[in-house]
Parts: sequence; C-alpha cells; structure tokens
Amino acid sequence: MNALPPDRPAGLDDVSLSRRQLLRYSSLAAAAVGGSGLLAACGGGGGESGPQQKGGVLVHGATGGSAKDTLDPHRPVQNADIARASNLYEPLLFWDSDYRIAPAVAESVTPESDAKTWTIKLRQGVTFHNGKDVTPEDVLFTIRRVANPKAPTSAGGTLSQILDFDQTKKVDDTTIKVVLKQPYAILDYLLAEYTLGVIPEDFDLKNPVGTGAFKYKSFAPGKNSVFTRYDGYWGDQAFVDELHIQDFADPSAQVNALLAGQVQTIDNLPYNLIDSVKSQGSKVLVSNTGAWVPFTMRVDVKPFSDNRVRQAMRLIVDRQQMIDQALSGYGSLGNDLYAPFDPAYAKDLPQRQQDIDQAKSLLKSAGQDGLTVQLFTGDDIGSVAPATASLFVEQAKKAGVTVKKIVKTPFYGDDYLSYPFAQDFWNTRNYIPQAAVCAVKGATYNETHFDNSKFAGLLQSASAETDETKRNTLLQDAQKIEYDEGGFIIWGFRRQVDGYSSKVQGLKPSRYLPLGSYKFQNVSLTG
Amino acid sequence: MTDAATLLDPDHAEPASVTTTRSRRARRGGAWAWVAWLLRRLGLAVLTLWLVSVLVFIATTALGDPVRAILGKDFNADKARAAQLTAQLNLDESLPQRYLHWLGGLFSGDLGTSIANQRPVSELIGPNVVNTLVLVLLSAIIMVPVAFGIAMISANYRRRKPDTFIQTVLLALAGLPEFVIGILLVAIFATTLSHVLPAVTIATPGGHPWDDPKTMVLPIATLVLAVSPYVSRIVRATLLEVLDSDYVELARLKGIPERVVMRKHALLNAIVPGIQVVALQLAWLAGGVVIVEAVFNYPGIGFQLVDSVRNHDVPMVQALAMIIAAVYVVVNLVADLLSILLTPRARTAISS
Repeated sequence: MNALPPDRPAGLDDVSLSRRQLLRYSSLAAAAVGGSGLLAACGGGGGESGPQQKGGVLVHGATGGSAKDTLDPHRPVQNADIARASNLYEPLLFWDSDYRIAPAVAESVTPESDAKTWTIKLRQGVTFHNGKDVTPEDVLFTIRRVANPKAPTSAGGTLSQILDFDQTKKVDDTTIKVVLKQPYAILDYLLAEYTLGVIPEDFDLKNPVGTGAFKYKSFAPGKNSVFTRYDGYWGDQAFVDELHIQDFADPSAQVNALLAGQVQTIDNLPYNLIDSVKSQGSKVLVSNTGAWVPFTMRVDVKPFSDNRVRQAMRLIVDRQQMIDQALSGYGSLGNDLYAPFDPAYAKDLPQRQQDIDQAKSLLKSAGQDGLTVQLFTGDDIGSVAPATASLFVEQAKKAGVTVKKIVKTPFYGDDYLSYPFAQDFWNTRNYIPQAAVCAVKGATYNETHFDNSKFAGLLQSASAETDETKRNTLLQDAQKIEYDEGGFIIWGFRRQVDGYSSKVQGLKPSRYLPLGSYKFQNVSLTG
Repeated sequence: MTDAATLLDPDHAEPASVTTTRSRRARRGGAWAWVAWLLRRLGLAVLTLWLVSVLVFIATTALGDPVRAILGKDFNADKARAAQLTAQLNLDESLPQRYLHWLGGLFSGDLGTSIANQRPVSELIGPNVVNTLVLVLLSAIIMVPVAFGIAMISANYRRRKPDTFIQTVLLALAGLPEFVIGILLVAIFATTLSHVLPAVTIATPGGHPWDDPKTMVLPIATLVLAVSPYVSRIVRATLLEVLDSDYVELARLKGIPERVVMRKHALLNAIVPGIQVVALQLAWLAGGVVIVEAVFNYPGIGFQLVDSVRNHDVPMVQALAMIIAAVYVVVNLVADLLSILLTPRARTAISS
C-alpha cells in the first residue's frame, strides 16, 4: 500500500521480519521465565540484589508518543523522544542523577577566567555507532546545528546568541576552543542537556548514529522503536541485548502492559495508579525533581503591581495541601523560588507558610480589602494546574479574596504571557538558565513581567563569574529579591514516579529525567 | 444511504415497464437495469463523498488558526517554524483555492504531508488503515455467525427460560460501554486474575499486530461482545415476525421439520434486516473503535485520528475523515446490493 523508502532494498524487510519474530518468541520465553522468577522472589521475601546479568530484551513503555515522534537528537518533543535520544546520543557532558555536571563525550569543559573562552577536551576512544572516532569537527558540526542562528533548536536559543561562530574552532585532534561574544560562566550547563547529543558531520536522520550505549535498528513514529547494544561503547556496556521503546497514548494501557509483563519499565506513572501497580507485584521508582507549576502574577498591572498584594497572595497558599491533593503527596515544598537543585539555591530563606492573618493585614494596608481577581488556567498546562487553581480559589476565601477561575482553551493562545494572574509549567533547570527565560526583561516566557534592574545586574554578574562561591553569593542575593518582590507563587516541586517490573535491576532515581534519566544501559533483567 | 427499505417499495423502483411485455425484455433489459442501478448508486456515493469533503474541509479550517494551535507556548518564540507551517498549509491562499488544492491532491492520490513529522500522509496512514480493516473484518467474521446463532436459539425458545436468559445477558452487554468490556477482559485474562493473554498490542516497526495472534484475541473479543447484542436482538425480532407469518405456518402444516423451517423459511427472510444492522455496526467499527484501540494500544485509524486532532495535524485529520467516510459509503453500498440480491421482490423490481 505504500512504497518502501527508495534507499532500502525491498528484500530486507522480509529477512528482518523473521528475525524479529524469533526475537519476539525468545522474549516471550524470557517473560515466562521471569514470571516464575517473580513468584519465587515473592515467596522468598523478595531480595533483588545479586550480580547483574547480561542479555535479554528490555521493553520500555513510553508515555505519550504520537505521529510527532522524532529521532532528531536536537528536537525531541515528548517523553518517548527523550528516552530514545538519551540512549542513542550523548552530549559532551552529563547531568548526573544528583543534577551535577559529569564528564561524558568530553573529558572536561573548562573556562578561562573571563568566562568568554572555553576549552573542550574530548575523551579519547569514543566512537560513533558506525565505528568512526568522534572528532572536533563532529562536535563543531553538532554545536552549529543546535545553535544555528537562523533556526536554533529549543536547546540552542541561548547558545545561538552568545556563541562567536567565527572564533570557535578546533585546536588539535582532541581539543576545541569555544569563544563567546559575552561572558557566560555556565556554558557547561548548556552542553550537558540531552538535546545536545553529539552527532557526526555526515549525520543522516534515516540511519542515525550517535555515541550512546544503544544503536539504532528501527523506528515507527507513534508506535515502536528498536535499538541494539553497541559493543564499541566507551563506558560500561549495556546489559540487555536489545532495547524496545513502545509508545503508549493511554496511561491505563501502559500500566496494563506492565502488569501483564509485556513491558518492563514505564515512565510517568499516574499518581492514582501507584497503589494498584504496587499491589500487583510491580515496583515504583520515586525521584525528586525540580519541576514546578507556579501561579504567575504580573508585577506591572493592578492589583499585583503593589508588592503587598503579591506577598498576601503568597501567604494565602496552603502549600502542603496543594502537594497532598494535586500531587497525591508526591511533592516537596516550594518557597517561591525555582531551581532547588542549584548549588546556589537559597535554602536559608525562611520557608513561607500559610498566614491568613498577615495576608489580610497586608491586603488592608494596600487598600485591597475584599479583593476580587480572575485566575486564568487551562488543561493544556497539565492536569496539576486546574487542580491547584481550584484549591487556590478555596484557600483564598479564608482571606476574604474572591478568585474567579477562568479556564482558557487553549491557554497557550493569544493571551498567554499577558494574563494578569495565571499558571504555567516548568521543568528542572538551574537558576541562571531558568531566570534567563522567565525573570528578566525581554525573556521569552516572562509571565510575571518581572523587570528589576538590580536583579538583572546580579544575574548578569553571576553569568560572568567563573568562581563558583562568588557566583553563588550573587545568585543568593538575586533570589532574595525574587523572594521579597517576585511575581511567582511556587508552592512545590513534583516528584517523578515511574513503574518497573520486579525482574528489572539497576534502576536508580535521578533528579534529571524519569527512570534514572532513561539510562537503560544500567538496567539488567533477571531470569 | 440505507435505502434498502425504499427499494423494497415498488413505487420507488424504476418506473420503466411494469407491464405485460416484461417477461420478454427481462433478460436483456435486466442486465442494463442492473448496470444503470449500480451506476446511479455509485454516482450517489461519489456525490456523498464530495459533500463530506466539503464538510471536512470547512470543519478543519473552522478549528481556528492551526499554526497557533500547533506551536502553543512557542508561537511567538519560533517565527521560522510559524512561517514554514503557514507555507506548508497554504494558509496564504484563499479558502476556495485551498479547497481545490486539497481536492486535487485527493484525486491524484496525494494526501499531503503530515505536519507532525513531515512524512507523506499516505505512508503514515497506510499501515493503520490495514490494521483497522483486519480488526474489523476478523471481528465481523466471528460476530456474524455468533449473533445470528444466538438469535436463532433465542427465537426457537421464544419467551421460555433460555430466551429470557439470553435476552437479559444481551441487554446487560448492550448497556456496557465497550471500554468497560475491554478493561474487564484485560483484568480477567491479562493482569489481575490471570496472565494467559497479552494486555496490549506491541507491534514491532514494520510488523503487524497479528504477527503475534494472541494479541488479537482480546480486542476482537471486546468488539464482538460490544456489537453482537444489537445485531442479535434485531435478527431475533425479525425472526419472530417471520415465524408468525402465514407461509411459515403453511410450511409447518405441510409437515416440514421445524429445523428446516427455521433455516430455509425463516432465516433467509430475516437475513436482510440483519445485513443492514451488520453494515451499520461495521461502519461504526471502522471509525468508532478508538476507545477499544486506546485500551489495547492497537495501532488503528481511530487512534491515529485522535492523535492527529491533538497534534492539530490538519492534513492527517482530513485524510482520515475521508477514509472513514469512504468506508461508511462502501459498506452501505455493499449492504444494499446484498439486500437486493437476497430479496426476490426487489430483485425483479430492478431487472424489469
């Protein structure tokens, strides 16, 4: 019914089909054995330690996935894409499971003291899946593709503005000199994102190669993709022979597949299904994240232009109740500050709590007794947003504030970024990159229209400061300003919950991405 | 489209010559009449599809600015992509121009390019169309004998205990939404109670769901359970009507065994309304199994349609809507043709 791609010989599909069938039968057998192993484990009290074994096929059930799916290393859209990109490609640096920078394809990335010139030292012996060594040319090609000034990818926005393309060049076979147009002391953060996977100069999306522990075998958007272990991997080789990533548009089908033993791992387990997954012999992996769903108050329009009103709104929120009800308890308290994993996070500022009396008196002194405001929300922000909006309506009543919840469809339409009082969502980031997109004048997503020259100055000095202690001091001063006058109500950070079969070993929580940052090379199967 | 009933009505048959000369001309004229009838029905089908294409086009353009919907939060941040999408969707052309553009593409088999992943729509839809057709056909092959069989048993035991029991069960099944049936079957056979069958479809790229026949069992069972009650109840009602008629009475008086009466006299006459119900249900299955597809992660077109709407992938939505409409039209056409062939009165009305 549809023609084969011209570059693929017609007979190939038949051969691979039968091989696939073979593999499927062997995985069925493995599943059967695994099932009996599960029973044994339950009887024996369920100790899962022991050496990890090689072999087997790991099937990961990915949340979402649609015709939008892509294997493009620099434009992943949804969870399934991120899972694929994280196993196929690797950036120069990694965010490790504690959300700290770790070396990867690059051995080191170090700045000069002016934070304008950086040296990337490549690790030796790193090869692409086609056997070719990673060269400085490949890295330069990758950076130019991501930060293409004409069409930067989502990860390349900042990079495209600060990079001096003419001066950035190869020094020798393992060294690259990166020159920036302005000082930027956290270039390493940008280079560690999963959206910056290193690819060769002759990269072809139809037959993609990277340096990851798994190499490409097949891909059908919205359905399924198959990867095999890369034996030439520079680090510890993957345990499983094959990795399958199966898309699931429906979360209950995804959970059923886990319970039926058809998939071994699933990401983003809905909170309401945690108990049924646990009670039926599967396990859950809970990880802290820095993901937040704030309320956003525009600091340049009434009534929120009066800081007393903003502070009152922040005091109205019962943060624990939001976590308990909107996140089923899977969250940690927020203090109206983002980037909780940043070394500079201002943990010494007192935790803000619900204080209705003070909120009332602040509103009174601002002349806003019996305030009525509209709160804009929408389903496209994510399910947490409408739930917390309803909670806020109730909590505000106690302080005599009438909040009218208005559901916008779509929320991200014409009015986005001009709502006086609304919500939004953000994922884990460190302080400088986050503030750069949401808290300074001209930032892409400055929902609160925050524009504080002292704050912007501190942020700029910190961006140019290579001494981490000095930088952290600057950033803590900046956070104090946001804590005192900012427009965000950040009530908490969500915990990530994933599910996995009891025959899976080697999964550890990660702050960066679900399922131990999707590093399936660490996963082995028992039985 | 289901005008078999009107075709049974002699007033609506071709007014040509219902007079005395008909026996002579019947042979040659008959063939021509059939061709004329078929051509007329095909013409009507094409007309219907054309009207559908206008409706689909208007509906998809009335959804609002697709570029804004596609880009969401990034609409203002990603001007290059916005411009590219505007060009790809021909949004700078006028509405009639865009419609003609699209209609021309439909006729030449060019369904356009998916916005979501920049691949040809036909390449993306092809495998899913096949998957859905196989699912629906297999379900139909099982459903038809099951539904007719149950109806015959039920009619045979009219208003006695087995009939009451069957009717109660059928009513209960008809009352259950198909996804509830699906979830129950999964819980019983795949997750909570036992692990004898797979819960969802896991197809390898390029492969088909039926590569592992076991994965087809639960989706098919769900569809059969969801659709059979309707078909069965209608066939039973028709059977009862026929069984009460004079010629069945006469057949019985002639001493023909009840089994033969049921098979030859009753069933054959009750089959036509059955065909119409089956056709309606099949047409519904082709586009409406989306919930079943979601429960079993089955890669069919209902699933794809929902996904495409979510992605605001206008070319995909248009193509899928047209395919589902075409299935409706074709299935009904076939059902009408079968109905006429199986109804002697309508058969002679056309050929004379």
